[in-house]
Amino acid sequence: MFYSPVTTNANECASNPKLHLFRHVEDTSQHLLATYVKHDGYKAWRKVLGGMTPESVAEEVKKSGLRGRGGAGFPTGMKWGFIPKGTTKPRYLCCNADESEPGTCKDRVLMERDPHGVIEGMAIASYAIGCHLMFIYIRGEFGHCIERMEAAMREAYSAGHLGKNIYGSGFDLEMIVHTGGGAYICGEETALINSLEGEKGMARIRPPFPAIEGLYACPTIVNNVETLAAVTHIINNGADWYRTLGTEKSAGTKLFSLSGHVKRPGNFEVELGFPLKKMIYDPAYGGGILGDRKLKGVIPGGASTPFLTPDMVETAKLDYESLTVCGSMLGSGAIIVFHEGTCIVWTLLRLIHFFRHESCGKCTPCRDGTGWLEQIIHRIEHGHGRPEDLQALDDICGNILGRTVCPLGDAAVMPIQSALRLYRDEWQYHIDHKKCMVESHFDFK
Amino acid sequence: MSQHVKPSDPIITPTETVTFTIDGQSVTVPKGTTVLEAALRSGISIPTFCWHPKLKPVGACRMCYVEIERMNKLQVSCATEAGNGMVVHTKSNQVLQGRKAVLEFTLTNHPLDCPTCDKGGECDLQNLTFEHGYDDSRFEFSKRRKTMGITDENRTTFDDLRIGPEIVLNRNRCILCYKCVRANKEAFGEYDLGAYERGNITEINSAPGQQVDNPFSGNLVEICPVGALTNSDWRYKIRVWLTKTTPSICNFTSSGVNTLFYKEDHKNKMYRTTSRRNDAIDDGWISDVSRYGYQIVNSEERLKTPLVKRNGKQVAVSWDEAIAVIKEKLSAIQDRKGSVCLAGLASPSLDNASLHTFNKFCRTVLETNNVDFRTDYKSLPEKSGSAFESLCNQPFSIADIDRSDVIVVFGSDLTREHHNEYLRIRKAANFVHPRIYFMNPYRTKAADVADSEIVYNQGCDEAIITGICHAAIEENLVDGSLASKFTHIAGGQSLAQCAKAAGVDENDLRYVARALSSGKKITFIAGELLTRSIAREQIASSLTNLSRLFQLQSKGQIAVLARHANSVGAGKLGLMPTLSSEQTATLKAEWGTLPTASGLTTDQIFTQAAKGEVAGLLVFGANPMQLYPDKAFAKAALEKLEFLVVADLFETETTAFADVVLPISSWAEYTGDYVNLEGKSQTARAAIRPIEGTVPAFAIIDRIAEAFGRKLFASDSQRTNEMTALLSLKSSEMPSEFASVPFPSPNGNGGLALMVVDDSHHCGHITEKSPSLSAFCGETYAEISPETAKASGVSDGDAVRLENEFGRIVVRARISEQIRNSVVVVPCNFMACPVTSLQSHKARVDRVKLTRVSE
Amino acid sequence: MMLTAESIQVIKEKAARYPRRKSAILPALTVAYRQLGYVDNDVYREISEIISVPLVEIAEAATFYTMFPKEQTGRYLIQVCNNISCALLGADSLIGYLEKKLGIKKGETTPDKKFTLISVECLGSCATAPMMQINHDFYESLTPAKVDKILDELRAKS
Repeated sequence: MFYSPVTTNANECASNPKLHLFRHVEDTSQHLLATYVKHDGYKAWRKVLGGMTPESVAEEVKKSGLRGRGGAGFPTGMKWGFIPKGTTKPRYLCCNADESEPGTCKDRVLMERDPHGVIEGMAIASYAIGCHLMFIYIRGEFGHCIERMEAAMREAYSAGHLGKNIYGSGFDLEMIVHTGGGAYICGEETALINSLEGEKGMARIRPPFPAIEGLYACPTIVNNVETLAAVTHIINNGADWYRTLGTEKSAGTKLFSLSGHVKRPGNFEVELGFPLKKMIYDPAYGGGILGDRKLKGVIPGGASTPFLTPDMVETAKLDYESLTVCGSMLGSGAIIVFHEGTCIVWTLLRLIHFFRHESCGKCTPCRDGTGWLEQIIHRIEHGHGRPEDLQALDDICGNILGRTVCPLGDAAVMPIQSALRLYRDEWQYHIDHKKCMVESHFDFK
Repeated sequence: MSQHVKPSDPIITPTETVTFTIDGQSVTVPKGTTVLEAALRSGISIPTFCWHPKLKPVGACRMCYVEIERMNKLQVSCATEAGNGMVVHTKSNQVLQGRKAVLEFTLTNHPLDCPTCDKGGECDLQNLTFEHGYDDSRFEFSKRRKTMGITDENRTTFDDLRIGPEIVLNRNRCILCYKCVRANKEAFGEYDLGAYERGNITEINSAPGQQVDNPFSGNLVEICPVGALTNSDWRYKIRVWLTKTTPSICNFTSSGVNTLFYKEDHKNKMYRTTSRRNDAIDDGWISDVSRYGYQIVNSEERLKTPLVKRNGKQVAVSWDEAIAVIKEKLSAIQDRKGSVCLAGLASPSLDNASLHTFNKFCRTVLETNNVDFRTDYKSLPEKSGSAFESLCNQPFSIADIDRSDVIVVFGSDLTREHHNEYLRIRKAANFVHPRIYFMNPYRTKAADVADSEIVYNQGCDEAIITGICHAAIEENLVDGSLASKFTHIAGGQSLAQCAKAAGVDENDLRYVARALSSGKKITFIAGELLTRSIAREQIASSLTNLSRLFQLQSKGQIAVLARHANSVGAGKLGLMPTLSSEQTATLKAEWGTLPTASGLTTDQIFTQAAKGEVAGLLVFGANPMQLYPDKAFAKAALEKLEFLVVADLFETETTAFADVVLPISSWAEYTGDYVNLEGKSQTARAAIRPIEGTVPAFAIIDRIAEAFGRKLFASDSQRTNEMTALLSLKSSEMPSEFASVPFPSPNGNGGLALMVVDDSHHCGHITEKSPSLSAFCGETYAEISPETAKASGVSDGDAVRLENEFGRIVVRARISEQIRNSVVVVPCNFMACPVTSLQSHKARVDRVKLTRVSE
Repeated sequence: MMLTAESIQVIKEKAARYPRRKSAILPALTVAYRQLGYVDNDVYREISEIISVPLVEIAEAATFYTMFPKEQTGRYLIQVCNNISCALLGADSLIGYLEKKLGIKKGETTPDKKFTLISVECLGSCATAPMMQINHDFYESLTPAKVDKILDELRAKS
């Protein structure tokens, strides 16, 4: 019995050799070691420990073109290469499983249904960077994920895939499952490191970068769950194979969480470069807009990415470059769809409330700015907007963008700025008429 | 405050430099310097809130933005390392707009409390808003108020919350620069203040159920850029622009911490002490004793008129009369019994001029060598060129602590006696990561900064040091010829025997030995727990042996740290019965002659006084009845004296015995020089004129000498020249050979070992008179381990009796977080409860029995 | 002592695996919350003693996160996600429905102390919206009928 009854395209993945992350997630025993091993589990790990050097592992990942799947899209192999050569300090790998970006629910599926896949990827990455103690930081609310990961970890230890002198290779690797306490900011890598250390989850200034001085002031790499899960397949099938998937600059596949006003919300694995329109309308994926209503807008990569209007959706492709050209970002791959019955200001109020609530409070612009933004948007939404408010919103956003310790500040203002740019008449309507242009009232049924 | 914006020198100066351009000016700085520090160093001002020269940068306030070419976003200069060829603009339009924006955000929820806020006039937010901010605000929502934890009982105006004996918190005003929590944790190692919650509801508050009462808490108020943290001491009393400041030196530490006294302009009253950053000594941090000690000066209880005992009662008289009595009585004793029956004790907190004048008076007018400044130490073995003396005069640099790779602290409860050096060691631990070892007869609070603290048996201090020497020899860590010399002369016991006697693990001694041999820059300091021992000469010998064996002087510093503001000055000026040959020669040259009879030390003076052999005694600034570690002994001496003159700030148990009591002016009322533990002489300028009726010590002695028909000094410059000659004498060298150190004999058992200390908020006998310091700690206590408490059935706060053959006292028990062995730590600073009545000047370790008193 | 011997044992075991003591703060808070349903100053003190970390650091960390309420809530803490994906599929309406069914407003606890209703931020179940978390369990893809069934089951439990 699955804990999360979410729709996936696992069946497609099972028959399409290019799709690998979701291949077995509809198998109700995939989380158990025996089944995992039957599905080529720990083959890559054995291969790595059976004679590959850490440098060659890192090189393979670098060649594959794999980019961070948590939101930043930074080339993974390059990130691993930032660890100073010849450092005698212990290195640490942290798997970032603090999935809290609104719209995103993909890592959960991997952790609940294919936890060994995550562990194997983490282990290979640990070997590549010379780490002997790896952490997975799971958000505290994901009770079932935590249970599954801990059980998988115990199985892995018992069977000798983790622990001392694994497979007689002389390589030791310990693992800790660390659970969060409820903070979106802990998904940011320096805040995650602080939280792991027992400090409050506040972001750190960079430099020093985590690869130089991270956890306990030692070189640390933080990678997303999906990124690490992909590593296993890259080692099994080779970097060249990975390169054949996706596009030239965005190699590989990605998990997309589709939510909002679509008939079939769910998690779908597709090659990068997949057309956004197909994702929303194709019956094998989103199945079209709920109630067959008109599309109003799409948030393509999680709550912190700028909006896409319907005409942008016509031609947009789901890869890093195309969405940047549209003025947005691939982000975590969380596609939130809303139809014509959605008030934009109502939407932005939800989002800014979220960011204000999650701000860690360290730097002035984010801490004080998000609060002020929420107060203004709140009054616009509730019919008390003033003529100078839109200018004020623009100014305040401009004073936060690029001026904060971590990207949360940027994340908070980019949707507002894009909404002001793309739906300005709706904002103006609120101010002029003291009410919503479109009343958002959604029944749950 | 502007001094906190001065940049800091790098702790270890790298040899590489970088050159870049800032505002068109080419600047070269050591590699690793941030853009902000480079700018400040070049005289370019950049506004900041959260930056502090002595704390790690956090980049929280965003005020220090600069524009750097080829970087498209504004950069925070406090966290950006200067790179070769960088082109930085600190006044471009984008930067100016950025600053306005930050101030706008900061002011959105900041209440306009300026008319009633103590920080007005010295507030960073006020100043920076005037300089860099908008004229107006477009935030018209209600400002957020933080009232959690405020009840009907503790409600005050303006949402203030008292979080400590001295600190009042107003969370509405806080701009969340986090300097207070950072300084508290990083610089002071204290955990009584925290920042709770998240985002814009974050608030600073004390630790749950605790007060902010650590010995450095006053600094938190000073570094707060706004009026969020304020002092009760200063609250609503005066506006800063109505005060005048004087640069001075703290009179309660031997470090010579630099301070700033504030007085009301045109009036003779002091209002405040703040730091006066001196990176060579204090880094801008001062302890609470330094900060609130000034209140003693203003105390209503100050002696303001001379007293003379008539018919058993002390009555107020004029100065002329008092001086006349002194002259009459001292001359009489001198004629009748001889100068050997006269003696003088001077406090080492007095300034150079007063000490020197006192010395000259005693030796040339009273013609006696019975002079001593060590008024609160047990029996002193006197030997010219002693090991202890040489250790007290070793070259020592406080700033070098920061640069050490090995630090050893031996016999010092740092947070009680050397606050400044403790902070320095913490700073080293944070930035340079040396190996740090503490060795003490009980677990001290300061040791949480150490890699380990070795707790040894009380009274076995030499054994530990000798043991370390043996460990080094055993592992071939030191030079072979030195090793064999040591073994031959001083190697009586083996490592195992030393470890056993000291009650420690051999391996602990090995770790220290390894550190000392492999260290490249070593700081080894010894403190009061040794200085106050009757065996200090032996302990010092073992230390000079150690120093010689490890050749410490060639790769670092080893010293016994002085305790009082001018201990080092007193030593150099010769306020001792036996002088070195250089001192003798110099004084003979300056004064003509010196008395020939050998002089008596403090305890010898007391012994002789009790027998009636010493008949007349002058005591200036000291209080043996409260502080001499054997009250009965001091009492027997003082009550037997024919004639006693005591000069002090307040009436004390000692003045109660006096035939003449003289009101002395405090350190803040006249300008004086003091020599700190590094041997550096510093001037403490007078903040105010002497309180009506009081006279500075040196002036009093001048007048007494005049009554004898003698003018001690033809001019002030003669006095100064005489002192300069003495102060510039070369310090004694450490012994050139190893010395045999007798092994300590087992020290009595039964009962708890009594450790008498200063409370961390007090120093000596006068700090009680400071209301703020008494608010932190107002009465004597007995600090014991949880095990001792359990064995005696004692809970925290219970009344307990400490008694032994010499006396008994009743105090409140305090169960310690640190102490684990069978000691009881009692402060000596409170007149009401004299712990010295339990001490014996002959005992190496005082022991007491502890029993619970049912109330 | 409020923490049971078993909880203390678990905390100590978890703490032992980390290179630094302070990292054990979050695991300790999680164990304490699981056992007690709240974490207050007294619990911070106990944790502080068990893992030897200063009290203020425990308190700072605990108040930073949302999962450690300082006071006991109802037996079943109903946390309804009200972030964007769930809101688009009727989270507001779901909250209204629960308010009606339980007879309390958002933020309140039922008089029999059985249910507390609050709204929370994104719980990572966006594709199965609307949803709610009750204590440690997720209930996703909710409909009025499902909600009724869940409440009945919980009410039936003693």
